[in-house]
Amino acid sequence: MSEENKTLSRRSLLKGVGAASLLPILSACGATAVSKGTAGHVVVVGGGFGGATAAKYIKRGNPAIAVTLIEPKKTFYTCPFSNLVLAGERSLDSIGHNYQELKEVYGVEVVHAYAEDVDPVAHTVRLSTGSTLKYDRLVLSPGIDIRWDALEGYDQAAAELAPHAWQAGEQTRLLRRQLEAMDDGDTFILSAPANPFRCPPGPYERASLIAHYFSQHKPRSKVLILDSKDNFSKQGLFTSAWQEVYGDRIEWVGLSGDGKVVRVDAQKREVETEFGTRHKAGVLNVVPPQKAGKIAERAGVTNSSGWVPVNPRTFEAELAADIYVVGDATVAAPMPKSGFAANAQGKVAAAAIVASLEGTSTVDPHWANTCYSLINPDYGISVAGVYRLENNEIVSPQGSGGLSASDADGWVRRAEAEYAVGWYNAISQDTWGTRL
Amino acid sequence: MFSKKTKKILNSVPNHLKTGFYALVLGGFLISSAQAEGFSQRQVEVMAGSCANCHGTEGRLAGVVPAIAKRPAGVLEAQLLAFKRDEEPRATVMDRIAKGYTEEELRALAHYFANLDNK
Ligand SMILES: Cc1cc2nc3c(=O)[nH]c(=O)nc-3n(C[C@H](O)[C@H](O)[C@H](O)COP(=O)(O)OP(=O)(O)OC[C@H]3O[C@@H](n4cnc5c(N)ncnc54)[C@H](O)[C@@H]3O)c2cc1C
Repeated sequence: MSEENKTLSRRSLLKGVGAASLLPILSACGATAVSKGTAGHVVVVGGGFGGATAAKYIKRGNPAIAVTLIEPKKTFYTCPFSNLVLAGERSLDSIGHNYQELKEVYGVEVVHAYAEDVDPVAHTVRLSTGSTLKYDRLVLSPGIDIRWDALEGYDQAAAELAPHAWQAGEQTRLLRRQLEAMDDGDTFILSAPANPFRCPPGPYERASLIAHYFSQHKPRSKVLILDSKDNFSKQGLFTSAWQEVYGDRIEWVGLSGDGKVVRVDAQKREVETEFGTRHKAGVLNVVPPQKAGKIAERAGVTNSSGWVPVNPRTFEAELAADIYVVGDATVAAPMPKSGFAANAQGKVAAAAIVASLEGTSTVDPHWANTCYSLINPDYGISVAGVYRLENNEIVSPQGSGGLSASDADGWVRRAEAEYAVGWYNAISQDTWGTRL
Repeated sequence: MFSKKTKKILNSVPNHLKTGFYALVLGGFLISSAQAEGFSQRQVEVMAGSCANCHGTEGRLAGVVPAIAKRPAGVLEAQLLAFKRDEEPRATVMDRIAKGYTEEELRALAHYFANLDNK
């Protein structure tokens, strides 16, 4: 039977019996045995924070396991620190990473292709190159996809005029060029989505660093944040830092203040809010509603929310055996959708996969997270969290984690800005091991 | 009273931590370099996983954020406990992180990083 037919028959099968009744059967089969004489083959889809980390840590855990990483990009540009690129404080090159160390030091096979489809029954992944890979265990860390149908007027063509820059690379370059070309005195508008979305403090760090750029290069320009929610990450710290550093340059309008953007006119760089107010921007940045990367949908592991529920002990998908999902694509609250968390989840999944292939028992999972945000290059704030499993739920031990002190001295803000850079260098080293 | 090596270690401990540190040394914690009991190697590796996100793989990256690999277990444990107990005035984030682990877990982590090359 050809690959195409297999996929078809799985689809018709799913239709016939109804996905809901088939899935428990799949899970009941449990972990499939590994082909005799090998330590097993793991395919990892996505070479970002979660996927690259999982690939490396599976190899660290047991070098005999064959690991194939599927990632279309030869250079991965991180979203972390891309706001510094927008502010002209860093080059795009300085946030680019390649897959050399994963290949050469850890022996990961890296295939630069796009995974088109997954057959969870046959345990295969079909690639854009036409070839099909068989896996014993599959890791999906595809990050986010934009919900192109969720915000009127905001489709792929609109994103070329009003960038989201919520996946770094070309979009970052485009938004930076627009900011540079913008007239002094014009307004930068950022439309922020409702929860959940990638990087909860990200829009507010972006607003801060663009205000920093304006304060030096476009002194008459302002930043307007139109928000689809009433509360946001590190709100108190951001709001008081904005007052202190930028005066009234940054204005934030929340949901109850008619901040929710419901229509975008990318040609005119205009947005309309829920109650009909129109705002015209010099540069318009739409951070749109999101969902798990498409391949998760194809693999049948997403639920009606568009995200992937997982068994928190191992990050194996609830809806399919032998498929582990990490990073932004998952439902892992109270952990945020951050690069730090994706990396931490990648390690937990890697340990669980190594144990399952070796037939040993899984150890207790542990995760942590720290999200630094820069108000300007010398002023940092953070939110931290430590997570463990209790009664099969992800919890934060009492008294741990939380925000930078609201009354911290100046040296703390400067130190946190330096530690943000230390964090960036360390997580990049830990995930890819390389800088361009 | 202390060996040359221990004295060298003591000199690397910040002054405000020294009292607690002497207690640890006298308590004999510094002497034991074996893997702390109660946690398998794999368990500690998973627990230590997140440390790498700021300290590099296996805690070996030196920079603004210090490397933690191969530092004496007693020094690491004293520092982690000081963070957990709010006894480190220079803390920015590690006080918030250390509170997420029990004292036994912090000790196991200290031993893991101290003994990385003696596995
Ligand atoms: C402006 C901004 C600032 C941020 N700042 C921070 C920060 O300071 N700290 C922090 O911790 N986090 C930060 N984040 C969040 C961070 O970027 C994400 O949480 C992180 O990238 C999630 O990792 P991931 O592995 O889930 O996805 P990604 O890192 O996006 O990786 C997904 C990869 O999968 C690939 N892929 C997708 N589908 C397929 C397919 N079908 N086949 C093959 N490959 C595929 C993609 O090409 C991509 O390379 C920020 C985000 C933004 C937008």
